[in-house]
Amino acid sequence: MSDNRLSRAAAAGLAATMLVTAGLPAFAQDFKGKTLVVGTWGGDIERLLRQNAAEPLEKETGAKVEFVLGGSGDRMARIYAEKANPTMDVAFVNIYEAPQALKDGMVEAPDPEAPYFKDVWDGMNNGCYAMSLVGLGIAYNKKLVSTPPEWADMWKPEFKGKIALSSYPGSEGDGVLGVAARLAGKDEHDPDAAFGKLKELTPIAMTYTNLDEIFAMMDAGEVAMAPMISGYVLAALKTHPDIGFSFPKEPGPVLVRDMLCLVKNSPEPELAKKFVALALGVKNQTDYAEQLYFGPTNKNVKLSPEVSADVIDTPDEVKGLLQLDWPYVISQRSDWTQRWNKEILGQ
Amino acid sequence: MPPSILLLLPALALSAVVFLAPFLWLASTSFRTQAEGSLLLADGLSLDNYIRLFADPFFVEVLLRTLAYSVVTTAVSLVVALPVARFIVVRAGRFKGILLALMLVPLVSGALLPSLGMLHLMGPLGVVNGASRLMGLPTVKLLGTPAGILIGLVQSFLPLMVLPLVNTLARLPNDLEQAAASLGAPAAAVWRRVILPLAMPGVVAGSVLVFCATFTSFVTPQILGQGHIATFGTVAYQQAGQVLDWPFASALAMVALAMIGLLQAAITVGSRFARRREARQ
Repeated sequence: MSDNRLSRAAAAGLAATMLVTAGLPAFAQDFKGKTLVVGTWGGDIERLLRQNAAEPLEKETGAKVEFVLGGSGDRMARIYAEKANPTMDVAFVNIYEAPQALKDGMVEAPDPEAPYFKDVWDGMNNGCYAMSLVGLGIAYNKKLVSTPPEWADMWKPEFKGKIALSSYPGSEGDGVLGVAARLAGKDEHDPDAAFGKLKELTPIAMTYTNLDEIFAMMDAGEVAMAPMISGYVLAALKTHPDIGFSFPKEPGPVLVRDMLCLVKNSPEPELAKKFVALALGVKNQTDYAEQLYFGPTNKNVKLSPEVSADVIDTPDEVKGLLQLDWPYVISQRSDWTQRWNKEILGQ
Repeated sequence: MPPSILLLLPALALSAVVFLAPFLWLASTSFRTQAEGSLLLADGLSLDNYIRLFADPFFVEVLLRTLAYSVVTTAVSLVVALPVARFIVVRAGRFKGILLALMLVPLVSGALLPSLGMLHLMGPLGVVNGASRLMGLPTVKLLGTPAGILIGLVQSFLPLMVLPLVNTLARLPNDLEQAAASLGAPAAAVWRRVILPLAMPGVVAGSVLVFCATFTSFVTPQILGQGHIATFGTVAYQQAGQVLDWPFASALAMVALAMIGLLQAAITVGSRFARRREARQ
């Protein structure tokens, strides 16, 4: 072998190596050893996010996705406490927490230029990205309540002491106050009207904290109706033939949203954006609708008629929803919690 | 520096980081406030949280209610624990280890599991009321009532009373009661004048533990109270986890801590006083 041939072989080998290296997708290298931290609710939500967002992201980028599970209050406390040095990249919070977090500079404002921003229904990305749409309606015992009830039916004398409410503060409680105020001819900006009307429902049959508990009481006939957020409830109702769920008309169901936030100055902003795109993507949103009955925020999701019937997924349905002035409601949280403790639960 | 302090340093450093620093942070947060329309802590210190706590009859009522639950839970635990502890010490023989291990189960399983278990026992469709229904007896409302919470609290914290009592009772010489009995003391007098006074250190230790655990408990009143009954723990949770008013929640925690500190101080003074009186007699 002559020197010339040797060097030519070496050059070819070198070129081949360079080609192979260059041919590898660059991003697979960029994120190796990086970890994206996502704070969300446990259970089905975590399962779907893991399957539709975390696993594809890990495969694509070589990064790891770590979930921190808990309530949204935990996550709010964490991102506020860590504002100087955040460790969480993506946080799922409630409709009423997102605008607050944006106002206080804890999260990135939604980027109107991002493709995933444009896929979401117009006007929904308040504070953070809108993740899913659910409505506060009424779960009811079909044996005690013959037709799907309207809000006003909860105030009928025959159901006195048979109405259950969720714990307060929370979207359910705020929603019920908004509805009560409207039945009294006012809206949530008149808390006296709201609490005065809601107080007529006392004594409350029970304060429910989980679905099994409230459904058992409903099946036993101890609870006739309870305002509940669609979604899980509708999924769970498939095993409770005697319990129905009504989306009332006057006023309509109270809109509640899960929001998806990018934490400001988080360690992995690029990974976080990729995660958001997957979470808001058609596959994940379709699974949310089909398995959890959470309405998609992504306009491109097409649902079968059976699924569509149980979720909020059309512009018309969204228009029929009652939207509360959440920033105002949040500013009243502390006072309303006291009033709820005293006037609704007080013995 | 003496070597003993050197050996202590790792532990001291760890305590400073995981206990002292968060505690100081909590204490300082309790003097902060959130600006109007914001969750961020505003600059400057104030007593607003404490003023609100003691000026609002709701929180004062919650404080008194929590104190009452603590006293009742302590008293009931003591009455239940004394015979149990005595049985373990005197009669259990080789089953003593097993019984003590069983006593420990609720302590090591955390507050959540036993409370969820109690939920199924006491619920309107639970074991107790289900059995009553089957037998045609009237049902009792336990969930969401003080009685339900107290049952849960006693169940949760009974071991904290039993263990110190077992400890003290086991150190009493067996022949003391026999001596008292042989001198003509009836059983009740033996308990009142011999066993109880000698078991006092255990009674005090157990009572302090149960009282403090009850006063700061959160899971049991939250679950068994069904949101109907506010205690210090549930209100602090509501403020920290749901209202997101962290400064006010911190103030609630500081007050709970102060109550426990006061109790500790009262007991120290009380026992010193008792010892002095004993010495004089």
